[in-house]
Amino acid sequence: MESRSILNAPDANSRGARKQQLELSIGCVPFRLQMSDRQLFRAAASRYAAFAAAAARPIHITLDGYSKSESQPAEFRYEFEGAALRASSQETRFDGVRNEYALDSLLRVLLSWKLATRHGFLLHAATVVRAGKAYVFTGRSGAGKSTVASLAPMGTVLTDEISLLRFENREWRAYGTPFWGEFRAAGANTSAPVRGLFRLVQAAENRVTPLRPVEMLRALLPNVLFFSAETEANRRLLKILSDAVDSISGYGLAFRKDAAFWEVLPK
Amino acid sequence: MNTTSVLWQKNPALAWREIDDATVIISPSESVMHELNDTGSFLWKNIDGHKSAEELAALLAENYEVTPDTALTDTQSLLEEMSSRKLLVPVPATGGELR
Repeated sequence: MESRSILNAPDANSRGARKQQLELSIGCVPFRLQMSDRQLFRAAASRYAAFAAAAARPIHITLDGYSKSESQPAEFRYEFEGAALRASSQETRFDGVRNEYALDSLLRVLLSWKLATRHGFLLHAATVVRAGKAYVFTGRSGAGKSTVASLAPMGTVLTDEISLLRFENREWRAYGTPFWGEFRAAGANTSAPVRGLFRLVQAAENRVTPLRPVEMLRALLPNVLFFSAETEANRRLLKILSDAVDSISGYGLAFRKDAAFWEVLPK
Repeated sequence: MNTTSVLWQKNPALAWREIDDATVIISPSESVMHELNDTGSFLWKNIDGHKSAEELAALLAENYEVTPDTALTDTQSLLEEMSSRKLLVPVPATGGELR
């Protein structure tokens, strides 16, 4: 009797469901997510629709699939509410992702780590583009990021929650991200050169005050998204942030909750 | 710990950067930021694992308008503070030689 074996193709999991691929580009960082959960795929495709883009050599992310390199040491790992990110030199895996929110969280974490080698960073900040320039407003939760975004009738809101800043072609640019805040709308998938970084404080009057680089760095650090405890990664991040506050004008912005604050901003 | 008899070095696990006249130090494992002023930054730059508190204080007195006694007191105080925050670690003793 002739022996016969059935070999599963790499793209087939144990239930035989075909994996689907979602290609994204966030801040010019390309990702290819591969997953077999159809419901999650539909939710992710809808959530990231504005950021769908195919690119050469994307960062390949496998969700709950067969691991090609379980024995490889992880360069970076992170766990969040039962979902886990594991990145090695061979592959990047998300395991235990049960819904789009967990996927969104791990994607933010991975992006923040990848940006550290691409001269960029993620910041809790709203970004509004006016007259072709990006105004980046940072502050802790409740500082007024969403309020600023909602008071920008003349501008394009790149994001009201998480901004991506990156140095490229000898200038700092701010990018929109698909990571939502209270504005409840995906950010715009576009970018603009940064006009200024603004530390938000709600006040009775609108006033803008220049900040020294160290003051701006002090304002940025608590609002930077970064999840690696590894020393070299933190050194890279600190250098990037130092470069940013050295070359981008920083300001304290006291503002009351109306659109008149735009009048005191530098043009 | 008596800071005069110990040689200190920067904790190798830290990330740090000079900016303006200050030094910003990040402790990645604790996600904590520390900041040193001008004189603190001067001492930080000179902490290399080879200088004693007295030698660091002498450098401080040479470069700032401060008396040697005040420089030594301030240097010891800062070394103790940085040690308690794990920004500095003692240089391991070698060959039983004491300074």
